[in-house]
Amino acid sequence: MKKILIVDDEKDIVETLSFMLKAKGFDCICAYDGESGLNLAKSSNPDLVILDVMMPKINGYKICRLLKFDNKYKNIPIIMITARSQDEDKIIGEETGADEYITKPFEFSDVLEKIQKYLG
Amino acid sequence: MTKIFLLLNQDESENTLKPILEKNSFETMCSVDEIDDILVQIHNFMPDIILIDNDFNNCEYVIRQIKSNTKNQNIQFILLLNNDKKTGFMNLVDGLIVKPISEDILISTLNSHLKIKKSLDRLYENNKELSRSLYQLNVLYNTSSQFAGTLNTSKLYDIMIEAMEKTLSFDISSVLVYTSSKNAIFKLNTIHTPAQNLIDALKIRSILNYKNVIENSSIQIGEFSDIEVIQKVKQARSNKIYGIESINFDSLFAPIKVGEDFFGVVELFRSTPFCSEDVTCFQAITHQVALPLRSAKLYEEISITNKKLEKLEKLKSEFVSIVSHELRTPLTPINNSLEIVLSGQAGVISKDAQNFILMAKRNIQRLSGIIEDLLDLSRIQAGKLDFKYKIVDIAPSVELLQKTFLQVASEKNIKINLDIEEKLPEIYADTRRIEQILTNLVSNSIKFTPQDGTIKVSAHTVDADEINFSDLIMPYIKPNGKYIKITVEDTGIGIKKEDIPKIFDKFSQIESSLNRNACGVGLGLTITKQLVDSHLGAIWVESEEAQGSKFNVILPLVDKIKMFEMDLSRILINNEDTGIIRLEANKDLNLINSLKENKLLNLSRLSKEIEIEEDGKIIYYTFIPKITSSSFEALISTIKEYCSKIKKNEYDIILSKAHSKNDGVDACDIIKILNISKENI
Repeated sequence: MKKILIVDDEKDIVETLSFMLKAKGFDCICAYDGESGLNLAKSSNPDLVILDVMMPKINGYKICRLLKFDNKYKNIPIIMITARSQDEDKIIGEETGADEYITKPFEFSDVLEKIQKYLG
Repeated sequence: MTKIFLLLNQDESENTLKPILEKNSFETMCSVDEIDDILVQIHNFMPDIILIDNDFNNCEYVIRQIKSNTKNQNIQFILLLNNDKKTGFMNLVDGLIVKPISEDILISTLNSHLKIKKSLDRLYENNKELSRSLYQLNVLYNTSSQFAGTLNTSKLYDIMIEAMEKTLSFDISSVLVYTSSKNAIFKLNTIHTPAQNLIDALKIRSILNYKNVIENSSIQIGEFSDIEVIQKVKQARSNKIYGIESINFDSLFAPIKVGEDFFGVVELFRSTPFCSEDVTCFQAITHQVALPLRSAKLYEEISITNKKLEKLEKLKSEFVSIVSHELRTPLTPINNSLEIVLSGQAGVISKDAQNFILMAKRNIQRLSGIIEDLLDLSRIQAGKLDFKYKIVDIAPSVELLQKTFLQVASEKNIKINLDIEEKLPEIYADTRRIEQILTNLVSNSIKFTPQDGTIKVSAHTVDADEINFSDLIMPYIKPNGKYIKITVEDTGIGIKKEDIPKIFDKFSQIESSLNRNACGVGLGLTITKQLVDSHLGAIWVESEEAQGSKFNVILPLVDKIKMFEMDLSRILINNEDTGIIRLEANKDLNLINSLKENKLLNLSRLSKEIEIEEDGKIIYYTFIPKITSSSFEALISTIKEYCSKIKKNEYDIILSKAHSKNDGVDACDIIKILNISKENI
């Protein structure tokens, strides 16, 4: 079973998203702030990370950079969730190195499509 | 008493004439001295009439000498001539008495010349007053035009003092003006250096005057906590000093005010007394300065309000942006939850429940669309919307519309027909924004088109001349050259004529009373117009009520220069404070060349200095006030002066040519300055 790490300080988003992903046969682990998210990403060996941008302690951009510039973790696909549709360059570009991004509010079908691109 | 100056031979004057004159109550004075002494005596005695004997030593020369002084020009000269003699200078004198002298003739002649003298004196005085008034009027006239030319408060006071100096030639002027409720400036202008105790005394006097004026009016003003003294001495090098006693000079005082607006007080001191004309002139100047002072005050207030408004506008944009971001977050779990319920994973749901949940989901989509629009608008207004301009073919974007709106259109059985020119030329645009423009227009049309209608979208190349611009509302630019024209034409409810001008306004949604079966906040068209404007295009609408609407968009074909200017103006908007444009366009030499040839003048409207890097050389173009001197040295020194202002770099050298054109930047010369690094020489 593929393991997906969801990191977002909005518990409702994490809960609904993990419910839907579990229903599609994924194993989900969750973190509710940047710091524990980063620790879990390093310790639990996920197959994919869904990462919110605005979070307490360490923001999503930074986590993404830390993972993508570490040879040990750089192959883990990262999908970023953002409330700003304008930041495409910042997220996808060299600055953070994320693989995909989705804008709030998102359709689950879009998220699933993007996950399947990497874990399909 | 009438004064007669006698230039006669000794015996004659003493013995005969003097007693007769004194008997008739004339005041007399005799002289037989040398000419220099005579002139001094005349100066002191100030006679009305001079009686001079033809036999007086050097008679003609003496008369000429006396007359050469303009102060003596009204004195009547009467020549005493022997019966048998003739004289060669009759034209020099005003009257003639033939000897031997008869008392009656003498007295009547003197009396009539006296009348002439008095009339002349009066004329002379009137004339003097007239020319003085004329001068004052002239100064007043010049001053008023100077007043009208500035809104700088401190400059206005300087003009006022200068005008008073010219017309009233004061020794000392003291002006006290308040700058804010607590601070004041005390301006002291003097001819010679004033003593310190005089300065202090004048300052206290001004403050007292000031308070006096305030107490007499309804104006409330705080105490002065800080008075700045600005002192100007005209002849600082002279040894003369105004002591404390100068405060006893004749003085003129006036408050500077207009209506209820009170600005300060002014007082003048002069060692010679002021006349009534001086008072009038003084008052005229103080009145004259008060009006522009009020304008300056209003201008200042408006500037402050403007800054506040700008700040407010910025805050508003930020607010909208933050709120929009915040709104999206809760929408996400709502949407997710609905989706979970809808999928049946949380339990089986009825058909009705499914419909209602679908309805909720549709409205969440609408809501997030509105939030997106709000965000776009706030970004556009804050100048923060990013455009990713590329040279693109927009035909696929137009074709995409059919697919995008397939479902929505079929719900109302609306047909979307496309008419795209084959091999549509490329434009310089942000594809995503072009798609946004098209989507906004088409979704708007669908919204306002009833069942079974048709929407026609077409894209063609047009020439600016073919476009009827009377329909164009507030054109952003005056179009010229070639454009792609996109039209979106529907069979909808149309727009009332009176609503057309405000259709692109923020939040305006045209009320269509009975037929109103569509809704929305109406941000779409506002955003669309802003996006079109950003592409240097134009948008306008043709419509008739109940007949449908036709939205027209024109977008300019690729024109690198134009696009470059557009980029430039955006750079400038973002860096308002920097006066220098730096172009790093060294990759595209054609662009630079055409810029140099055609566009510098246009660029100069945007900036005073332009920096272009080319082949490792930096070329500065600077726009400097017209160089009037034609000499090469003067030109170079002006350029050097400007160079030092641009950058502290040494310029290895300089200049192709200076030229100017009557193209809105007249009175400007363009100077090309090459900065070649030493290694390259």
